[in-house]
Amino acid sequence: MNTNMKTPLPVTVLQYLALGGFLLFLGFPVLWIVSASFKSSAELNSLSANLIPNEWVFTNFTTALERQNLLSSAGNSFLVAVSTMVIAVIVTLPMSYALARLRGKLRAAGTVWILATQVFPQILIIIPLFLVLRTLMLNDTLLGLILVYVTFTLPFTLWMMQGYVAAVPRELEDAGSMDGASRFKVLVHIVFPLLRPGLMATAMFTFVSAWNEFFLALVLLQSPELFTLPITLRAFLGAEGQTQLGPLAAGAVLATIPSLIVFSFLQKKLTGGMLAGAVKG
Amino acid sequence: MNSKKSIGALALLTAGAFALTACQQGSASGGGGDSEDGAVTLQFQSLSDQPATQEAIQAAVDSWNSDNPDVQVEIIQAGWDGAYDKLITQFTGGTAPDIIHFEAASIVAFAQDGYLADLSEGLSEETIADIPEGIWDSVTVNDEIIAYPSTMQSYVAFANADLLEEAGVEVPTGDSMSWDQLAEIAEATTTDDVYGLGWGLGSPAATVMTLAPGFGGDFFSGSGDDVQIEVGDAELEVPERIHEMAYEDESLDPVSLTQSGSDVLASFYGGTVAMTVQGSFQAANMANDAPEGFNWVALPPLEGSEGALQAANPQTYSVNIDSEHVEEATAFLDFFASGQTLAAIAQADALIPASESAREVVATETGGEDGWEQILATADGMVGAPFLQANGYAEWKETVLNPALQQYLGDQISSEELATQLTDGWG
Repeated sequence: MNTNMKTPLPVTVLQYLALGGFLLFLGFPVLWIVSASFKSSAELNSLSANLIPNEWVFTNFTTALERQNLLSSAGNSFLVAVSTMVIAVIVTLPMSYALARLRGKLRAAGTVWILATQVFPQILIIIPLFLVLRTLMLNDTLLGLILVYVTFTLPFTLWMMQGYVAAVPRELEDAGSMDGASRFKVLVHIVFPLLRPGLMATAMFTFVSAWNEFFLALVLLQSPELFTLPITLRAFLGAEGQTQLGPLAAGAVLATIPSLIVFSFLQKKLTGGMLAGAVKG
Repeated sequence: MNSKKSIGALALLTAGAFALTACQQGSASGGGGDSEDGAVTLQFQSLSDQPATQEAIQAAVDSWNSDNPDVQVEIIQAGWDGAYDKLITQFTGGTAPDIIHFEAASIVAFAQDGYLADLSEGLSEETIADIPEGIWDSVTVNDEIIAYPSTMQSYVAFANADLLEEAGVEVPTGDSMSWDQLAEIAEATTTDDVYGLGWGLGSPAATVMTLAPGFGGDFFSGSGDDVQIEVGDAELEVPERIHEMAYEDESLDPVSLTQSGSDVLASFYGGTVAMTVQGSFQAANMANDAPEGFNWVALPPLEGSEGALQAANPQTYSVNIDSEHVEEATAFLDFFASGQTLAAIAQADALIPASESAREVVATETGGEDGWEQILATADGMVGAPFLQANGYAEWKETVLNPALQQYLGDQISSEELATQLTDGWG
């Protein structure tokens, strides 16, 4: 296949236009929420639909920071999201390898069980879950919430990582074994490094899931000092559908910053093509 | 080497996070109870979200705490969103607070399941006499008072006085305004660029159920599980009148029927609708957000064939029946029910106080400005609503009533089909 074939200019232009349109489609809600965070309440309730505020207002940010313990909630969210991410990755890595590589009845049963756990809606198990956590004295604790998040994200991350493991050629492991490496060494020095993109994707998924989760945190946490960010932000939605849109938008903008930092850090390691040419066909 | 450092840092971070989280047991996790010095601590779960409301509640709690060193009240701040799910988990798990803030339409179901204490004996005669019987009806289950009703909203018509004047229409005054008058003014003010009325009915169920008593619309009879539904002419009157204004008179903006009340406010401020019907609390938003020089007024309460009646669905304060200190919690509520406290809460939330003494305080302090005169007038017509007593109402409202009304107000089905859907969808 000739990879040097030049793409015709009109096609390139169309590709970029399509990409630009897609980016705009994805980015517009974010731009809008940033714009709303700088608008006055009067402007937000007017018919004007400017992206650039008529008058730049910064009080939404001070209101968001002062009124709803946004910083301590952000700290709680960060603690929960990072812990969930790390534990989920540590647990997922060996489990997904076992599911992808080992053969036997236990594997089949494990796979079916993982699928089955995805069938139950959260609302159905929330009360039993609450009772279990209370028995373990883990209700109203961040540790309890982290363990619940890990449990809920594991099925998906296992399925995702299984695919990455399956893509690693067995020949690489065989080559390592033939050179005298133990199974553990093969895993640590050959397989796991090749799974890095999958691990990064898993880490991103678990971080975002835990960072954004609302319902479980709402029900399992009772004390305001433990509230995570989604709970705190929802406090801007009052009774009878009253919404304090400006402070809510400002809070939402601030809430995205830690996610962006984590993403920018992990995204650098999300490289593909590491297996290209590993095994001669 | 770098990756080893990263892994080490990550492990350290996780260990630190775990150490931190393991040590963090929430302050509200143990429930209310007795402290070592014998003082009782009551947990009071409040959903109030406005800073001024929170201040008013805190002031009342501080005052109680200083007067009652043996019975201390601790506020647990929560939010409205997801409050039902949180509460049902708390009750089932045995961790519900002693004092619970909620609303009548949602709390009645908990009372029917036996989770709430009867307050009839604990509240003073003055407190009970201070609230009209119709409002007590909304929080009475099996002859037991299961909550103290605090504040409530009504539906109020607001008008752009300048647009009414341009159309040669006099702004209605008096004790009430009939639905016919509303329709006439809407027609008179409708032009090529302006609709006479904008009504945010994206989720129309609450509005229709609240205004139905004005025409004698009860929808339900009986209580608990033994509830029958009847959707007749009286029940259909409100949606039919709205439909008529939208599609026959063409004086009601049909787009607004798909929007929220707040969305329609933008059209109201922009002068593209002359009037709008809103929750009374929007008066406070209008006072803050209306463009400079915008001349808005609140119109008299809407009156149907049975009077200017609206269903009361007040915010409530209840006592957990499993609390170790029901008596103390009820005594606190009796203290909390003072006119000054409720007036402060009502003004902060722009809601109508259920008690007459608090309404007097609000009337005096506001001087009837910013629509308060008309808003307070709607309180006289607040009555108990049968739907509050119907088990399964909340589910029916979301799965049957709202979708069916949306179809009808979207001119997709007839009123006969609406009645059939509502009746068949019950039970």
